[in-house]
Parts: sequence; structure tokens; C-alpha cells
Amino acid sequence: MRNPLADVTVPILDDLIESDYVRSLIVGTVGVLGALLVLGALFPDSVAGDLSGIVFSASTASSTARLAAPIVLAGLGGIFAEKSGVINIGLEGLLIISAFASVYVASVVGIGNAVLGVPAIWVGFLAGIAASTALSGVFGIVCIEFKADQIIAGLAVWLIALGLAPFMSTVFFGGVNTPNLGASVGWEYSAVMVIAATIASWWALNRTAFGKHLRAAGENPKALDTVGVSVSKVRHAGVLLSGVLSGVGGSALALSIGQFVGSGETMVQGKGFIAIVAYLFGNYNPVGTLGAGVLFAGLDAVQIRLQQLGYAVPDTLVQTIPYVVVIVVLALVGRTQLPEAAGEHYETED
Amino acid sequence: MSRSDAGAEGGGDADQVPSIARRVVSPFVDRSVAERLLISVAAILLSIVVGFVIVLVSGRIAQCSTAAWTMPLTGIGFCYDPVEVYLVLFNGALGYPFAVGEPGLFNPNWTPFNLSLGLTLSETTLLIFTGLSVAVAFRAGLFNIGTQGQLVVGALATALTVLAAAPFLPEGPVAGVVLIVVGTLAGAAGGGFWGAIPGALKAYADANEVITTIMLNFIAANIAYVLVLEVFRAEGSSVVATQYVPEHAQYLPWVFPESSDFALLALLVGLGFIVGLYYLVEHTSFGYDLRTSGVQAAAAEYGGVNAKATTVRAMTLSGAIGGVGGSVWVLMSEGRWMASVPALGFDGITVSILAGNNPLGVLPAAFLFGLLKGGALEIGFRTDVPTQLVGVLRGLIILFVAMPEFFRMAGRYVGVGSTGPGGPGGSASTSEGTDDEATAVGGGEADA
Repeated sequence: MRNPLADVTVPILDDLIESDYVRSLIVGTVGVLGALLVLGALFPDSVAGDLSGIVFSASTASSTARLAAPIVLAGLGGIFAEKSGVINIGLEGLLIISAFASVYVASVVGIGNAVLGVPAIWVGFLAGIAASTALSGVFGIVCIEFKADQIIAGLAVWLIALGLAPFMSTVFFGGVNTPNLGASVGWEYSAVMVIAATIASWWALNRTAFGKHLRAAGENPKALDTVGVSVSKVRHAGVLLSGVLSGVGGSALALSIGQFVGSGETMVQGKGFIAIVAYLFGNYNPVGTLGAGVLFAGLDAVQIRLQQLGYAVPDTLVQTIPYVVVIVVLALVGRTQLPEAAGEHYETED
Repeated sequence: MSRSDAGAEGGGDADQVPSIARRVVSPFVDRSVAERLLISVAAILLSIVVGFVIVLVSGRIAQCSTAAWTMPLTGIGFCYDPVEVYLVLFNGALGYPFAVGEPGLFNPNWTPFNLSLGLTLSETTLLIFTGLSVAVAFRAGLFNIGTQGQLVVGALATALTVLAAAPFLPEGPVAGVVLIVVGTLAGAAGGGFWGAIPGALKAYADANEVITTIMLNFIAANIAYVLVLEVFRAEGSSVVATQYVPEHAQYLPWVFPESSDFALLALLVGLGFIVGLYYLVEHTSFGYDLRTSGVQAAAAEYGGVNAKATTVRAMTLSGAIGGVGGSVWVLMSEGRWMASVPALGFDGITVSILAGNNPLGVLPAAFLFGLLKGGALEIGFRTDVPTQLVGVLRGLIILFVAMPEFFRMAGRYVGVGSTGPGGPGGSASTSEGTDDEATAVGGGEADA
């Protein structure tokens, strides 16, 4: 192995992570954070001191959790879709549609009211998930039943959501931005959902029959067909799961603020694309995706705090780091282990 | 035999990396021109129908005092009039050549040189370049989502070059021509460089160009923003923008109103690019290399095409055309580089897909999206319907163009006949251009 970090063993993680690549990623991140902590403790007045103060502060943790939720959750969804053989680059659109639907339904129900004992904000949350799942269902039908080109259909999902959410917002609220609900979902919920979803995804992918079917649908659909499992059904399930998880992410994003912002690229601002990056970076491993998502969100959160402390780092440049990292990693590692049959239609031979 | 099977045969070699892009592209390349045209038209019509429903439904939900439209027979009132929306959209984008609600079909006061048509054609011109950029890469089997970034870099290169060169030349038409040519070359160089990066990464590091170009879009936008913010920002400007390039270095509007930001000369340059690229792709040996590696990389390599070099060249060419689009945006539309670059590159993907990646098809496709853009402004002026409707229509058109199988199924269902390439009627509509490709592929497969 050319990567020395890949040989480091971490007993607890070894069972969870088979991939050397993901392990080196995690060990590297922990190492950098550890070095920062030591440097910060030794030289409290230096940049390292400030930086470690920021990185290990509670407010950074909470904003990281808030920013990471859509990235990690959509990334996990992307794994399910892509493992099943459907490349979903419409994650951004799913995030947008769920962000809008959650705020819209919460405001229709009215904060303070409840439906069947569920408070309005959580009704909105569920509605966001439903909207995203419905759109992913359409995407699935288009890709699997009508054999549409997955990348172009994914782009279309993004473009439709990008038009539809501000359109609906203007119809209902008279502007592309919705009014603020005056209530929000705390960051602790986002953090719990992200971690729970990561563990559940890992378990579903690696320890269940469904996970095996999913991987077979992406790697060797013919074999799956031969043992009598419908490839189409498994792929539909994978795509729908990407909708559910993205819906959780989009709702968490919008409801953590209590508003949908629809101007420009909307409040989602490319987080769906970063999510793709996160799961590729994590090499389709949910734990790796969590790590990558938290890393990207953490960079953003630290950068915001740095600005507040008066370091004149142009925030735009800091935001560019994840993109550059992805290109460098892709150039060095080369091809990520894309499922063998991803992007292909499968026709049952009956 | 399914199409995916056909693709798998050529790439059976373990060394042949199954490129998603190639699989993605192949259904677009090996379909006959007539069928593609039919599918594009059907997709446009279907999205208009779906848009009609969306307008109706949202018109039912929206609040208004008097109904704008009442459904025949049912008497249910709607806040938005979907018929009016489309009339305003298409008629308005042309500057109302058709008289609506008045005697006579044509509006006697209409001239072709009106503001609305100017705006429509201005958008058309820009989309010609970005559409061509995406189409060229597509033909080589590469999905260039990065035209947006290439346009941003090209536009900045143009603006900075013209601003730097202008003081050395005396004002006048000659200097103007020189500056426009130099600026366009700078745009092509900047865009070409930005396109060469994902091309080289694809060819030599096997990095998926779909991902790298998406990343490079963000990087281009961010770096250009910071550069202009910190270094090249015009003094006293409230937005992040460079200085204006001198008036004589811009494309002159000639017969169209100044405020339309449209220059006939730029459109002519665009038409020249269309013809030039059509010739390049269809009738030169470079174009042959490009197409064969797009259709069947293994066969192309066997036939002596250097696939790696072709990939880099195709992406560089694609980026350069996107960069020229950026230079036209600076020298025709804005007169300077500014941070809020419109999503012309992304629209270029939609143009190219609708055009079936054929350079000649780019013209009508760009004009259609130009119409939508010009019409969106009119919808904003004349109706209560939110202009974002046009964005939804754009997404729907792309969605429907992406699912030709749907239209084939629908066609079979209504009994129009099997129009699929696998069907008995398929060969009748095959054009000469695709015949060439089919032979190339067939030969390649036989050799392999």
C-alpha cells in the first residue's frame, strides 16, 4: 500500500470498516484533530490556540451538526441508490423539494397546532420526507421502467425542484423565500438523526439480506435475477430510500432555521452535490460518508467562526477546499469503486 | 438484444473500464436523427401539457379576488389562465407578432427589431456557444457538466485581457475589432485550459469527468469571485465586478435596441461556430476520431485512435467553446465580468440534450430556450404567474427527453408503429450520418 495510514489498526473500528481507504481517512482526521488539540494546549496564544478553541467549542459542534445533516443524510441515500445500480445525481433536487415542503406544511398546519397529537413542525418534517420520497419515486420510475438515462434524469430532478420550490413559494407566500416559522428543530435532533441513520444504513447494507440484494443489483443484476429476486424492485427500493434519507436531510436543513430560502441556488446551495462527494470520498461506506460529511460541514463551521474572530480568510476560498480535495483524491486514487452495473438498465429475461 | 448488452460486448475486456459516461451517451449517439427529432418535439409538447396542469393546480391554490380563467363545463374558477400564460410566453418572447383578441392574425405595429425579440436572441446567442460546448464533449463520449465553470473562467480572461490591452490602442473601430478578437481568443484559452483539466484527469488518472467538472464549476466560481473581490474589483462598484470594457470593444447592437444586449454580429459568429463544428465533427479525421471514441472507445483504440489524447483534445475544445461563450457574455451582454454569472453553462446541457448533441440541432434548441427566457420576462410583466414556471418547464423538457423509451411505449400503445431502432420500422428513418457510425461500430466489433 502506498498509504502508510492504511496499516494503522483501530480495534473498535476494524469490525465496522473493511476498507483501508476509509480507515486511513478516519485515522488521518483524528490525527489532525489530535495534533491541533496538543498544539493549541501548548501554545494557547497562537493561531493554533485560537483554532483549537474554535474546533473544540460547543457552538462549532452545533453548527457542524446542522450543516452536516443534509450532506450526510443525502449521501447515505446516494449510497443506497448507487449500490442498487441507479446513480442519483438528483440528490440536490430532493433536498430542495423536502426543504420547501417541510416549511410549507408546517406553516399550513400552523405552529402551535397539532395533527393527531404530532406538533406542526414534526408534521412538516414528515411532509418533507414524503415530498422527497415522491420525487425520488418518479425518478425511479423514469429510470427503471422507462429506461431513462440516469445522469440526465437526475439533472432534470434537480432542475425541476430548483424551479418548482421557488415557484410554489411565490404562489403560496408571494415571494421565493418563505416567512420564518418562528419555531425550529434543535441541532441535537439533527445530530441524533445523522448518527442513527448512519448506523442503520451500515447495518442494512452489510448485515441484512436486503443489503445483499442491493449490492447484487448494482454489481451483478443477472445473478440476482437468477436466484429469483426482482432487480427492478430492489432498485426501486434503493432509489426510494435515497428519497427518504434526503427528505430527512432537507427537512432538517430547513426546519433547523424555520424558513425556506429560494433565491439563487436556494438554501441547499449545492449540498446535494457535496453529498455525492461525501459518499464517494467515504467509498460507499456509511461511516466514511459520515466522516466526510462532518469534515466538510466542520470546515464550513470553523470558517464562519474564524471570520467572527477577525481572521481575514476569504470565506469563499475556505468553501472551495472540499472541491479541491475531491479532485486531488480522485486524481490520486483514480476511479472510485463504482458498482459494476451502475448506470445500466437491466432487462429481465422472461 | 438490449442496448446495454450491446455496450457490454465491446467492453468485455477486463482492462476496459466500464465508463458510465459512455453508457450514458450511447443511447443518444446511436439513435436516428428523425427519431431524436420526434422525441424532442414530443418532450416539449408533453412538458407544455404538464406545465398547463401545474399552472391550473397552483391557480386553484393561490388567492385572488376574481378568477382569471374558468374551466369550461365545470364552472370551476382558477386564479391563473394557462392559455394566456403560453400565449404571453411564446408571443411575448417574439415581441407580440400575433394580435390576440383583436381583428387580424398579425399585429400591424410589429417589427422584428423589438426589445423582446432582442432579449430572446441575446439568450439564444449565448446558449448556442454553451450548447455547442456540451455537444462536442458528448460526441466524444464525455459528459461535460463543467461548461459553466469554463464559461466563468473564459469570461474573466476576456474581461481582464481587454481591460489590459485597451489602453495601448487608439480608440476606434479598428481597435474595437482587434480587442474583440483578442478578447475572444483569451476567452477560448481560459475556457480551454479549464476544460483541459478534467480531460487530462480523465485520460491519465481515470477520474470521472462528471464529478471533476461539477467540482471545477464550484472552484471556478469561487476563485473568480475572490480574484475580482480582492484584486480586480472596479472602484466604487456596489457589486463584485470588474470595470466596464471600453464601449468600442463591445459588440454593437446595430439594429436592435441598446437595452436588449443583443448584437447581430455575435449571433452570426455563433452561426459560424455551428457550421464550423458540424464540419469538424462530421467531415474531418479529428471528428471521426471524436465520434468513434464516443461510440465505441475500444474499437477506436484498435483502429489507431489515441483515446487519451482525443479525450484531452475534446475536453479542451469543449472548454474553449464555453470560454468563447463567456467572452460573448462579457463583450455583448454585460460589458464587464460580474459575480452573478447566469447559469448559461447548465442551460447548455439542456440545449445539447434537446439537440440530440448534433451541432445543427443546437440552433433550434438554443432558440427554444431563448424563447423561454425572453417569455419568462413577459410572464412577469403581464401575468400573476411566478416566472419560475419557466424553470420547471426546462426541467420537465429534459426529463422527458431523457426517457425516449416512454415515447416508444406510448407510440406502440396508440399503434403509431414501432419506431424504436430495434423495431422493424427503425431502419427506414436512419439517416446517413448514423449509418456511418453504425458501420464504424460494426467494423470495430468485428475486429475485436
